[in-house]
Amino acid sequence: MEQISPYLQFRNVTKFFGDVPVVQEPFNLSIPSGHFTVFLGPSGCGKTTLMRMIGGLDTPTSGEILLQGTPVGEPDIRRGMVFQSYSSFPWLTVRKNIEFGMRFRRDLSASQKKDRAEHFLKLVGLGDFAKSFPSRISGGMRQRVAIARTLAADPDVLLMDEPFGALDANLREDLQFELRKIQKSSGKTTIFVTHDVEEAVFLADRIIVFGPRPAHVIADIDVTSLIGAERNETVRDSEQFFHLRTEILHLLRGRQVREIAA
Amino acid sequence: MTASASSSRKYPGSLFRFRVPIPQSATLLAALIGAAAFLGGWQLLVSLHVVAPAFLPTPLKVAQTFIRMCTDGSMLPNTVVSVRRVWLAFILSALLAVPLGILMSGYRIIGATLEPMIDFIRYLPVPALVPLAIIWFGVGETTKIFLLWLGTFFQLVLMIAADMKRIPNEYFETAYTLGARPRETLLPVALPAMLPQLMDSMRISLGWCWTYVIIAEIVASDSGLGFVIWTARRFMKTDQVMAGVIMIGLIGLVTDQCLRLLHRKLFRYQ
Repeated sequence: MEQISPYLQFRNVTKFFGDVPVVQEPFNLSIPSGHFTVFLGPSGCGKTTLMRMIGGLDTPTSGEILLQGTPVGEPDIRRGMVFQSYSSFPWLTVRKNIEFGMRFRRDLSASQKKDRAEHFLKLVGLGDFAKSFPSRISGGMRQRVAIARTLAADPDVLLMDEPFGALDANLREDLQFELRKIQKSSGKTTIFVTHDVEEAVFLADRIIVFGPRPAHVIADIDVTSLIGAERNETVRDSEQFFHLRTEILHLLRGRQVREIAA
Repeated sequence: MTASASSSRKYPGSLFRFRVPIPQSATLLAALIGAAAFLGGWQLLVSLHVVAPAFLPTPLKVAQTFIRMCTDGSMLPNTVVSVRRVWLAFILSALLAVPLGILMSGYRIIGATLEPMIDFIRYLPVPALVPLAIIWFGVGETTKIFLLWLGTFFQLVLMIAADMKRIPNEYFETAYTLGARPRETLLPVALPAMLPQLMDSMRISLGWCWTYVIIAEIVASDSGLGFVIWTARRFMKTDQVMAGVIMIGLIGLVTDQCLRLLHRKLFRYQ
């Protein structure tokens, strides 16, 4: 990694909304291709803003974000985003939602788009619900629709803003398992924002832990070297998983205690 | 459900529980009793000579007049004229208000330019503008359409802008990260996302059109339901006045129900 330039890079990025600092200290981070990176931190710590800036949905006040060496600009198809709410279009069926992901791709023929839609429909296990509207399926299925739609667009970077935040615990675990599998098989560079420690540990190759606003990194954890790359349901019960989870929880909590004391 | 239904039969007082739903049979019955009491009270007022029939004809008399006017050709052609005016003006309003409202909310600079002006104009009462309309357009068809358009367009455009503003940002941002440029989101994202709200806004402004058409027809017209009502008044034909008013009410009711039905059919996905 020393010689080659990183795939995705934050260089001295700061962000102010008016006078309010969201990222005050210049933020630097390099992310290699194909990595699953999780931004973890308390609500309002600026992790979402940092991710939105990758997508071009917010712009840095200073500094720059580089994708394959060139600064990212306005949002485009190279950086796909999955939101927590309003993630799928309620007026389109599941299949049409997924096809929408390729609406602005001019390199695919109509029949290629159809085939791809079918492929991703199956990949996220929604083959039987192709003709259903989002209001008729569960919240978990709706998030799968959004993931399939973004994958169908074939972005270079997959951005996810607490996509499982509104789901109940069991469903969450299922979707985390599937997402990790899909991410590894597709090799998509993924940035995932969450405030759930366990979710972060299960999904991530690497976790960037943020303290409260303005955004600052309190830990940069190489998860794969600690618990391995293989993630299945037994991993959750492993000792390493438990230790790492507890350590991060203490990190976040200790930080808060110190801030209150100060 | 069954428990509450049977208990409400045993204790009539339980129908008056605060914010508690009542059985469907009770809903229907209450509506019938309410209407019957109203008509009965009205009939009684006249029968007991509390009010002279010249001022208040009996419900039966009004119904007879209504049916007679519908069959002798004095009501229906005028109804057609009014309906035509309402829809023509409404469609003109909507055709301009929908794109303009979307643009005003989509491009804030357009909104900033137009909103104060529109806000001012929409508070002008339509009757106050009748003299101006007559000076500009005479007493012909144009005046009426203009007045109706005036009364609805400026309200509608702001409602459409608000409908557009209510669309969650996530829909647009999702489309951007799928490769859409902002203006490419108007048709495939903004329009379908706001369509249910937009149709409601249009349905409401169609109701206002009816208010204004009657004003326009009373002030300057020789046709339409407003003209029918106003002419009947000159000869103290109270039953005909009321028959005309009932016709307006019926058209409003039927139109509204049809549009609601269409709404349910179109937006079944909700």
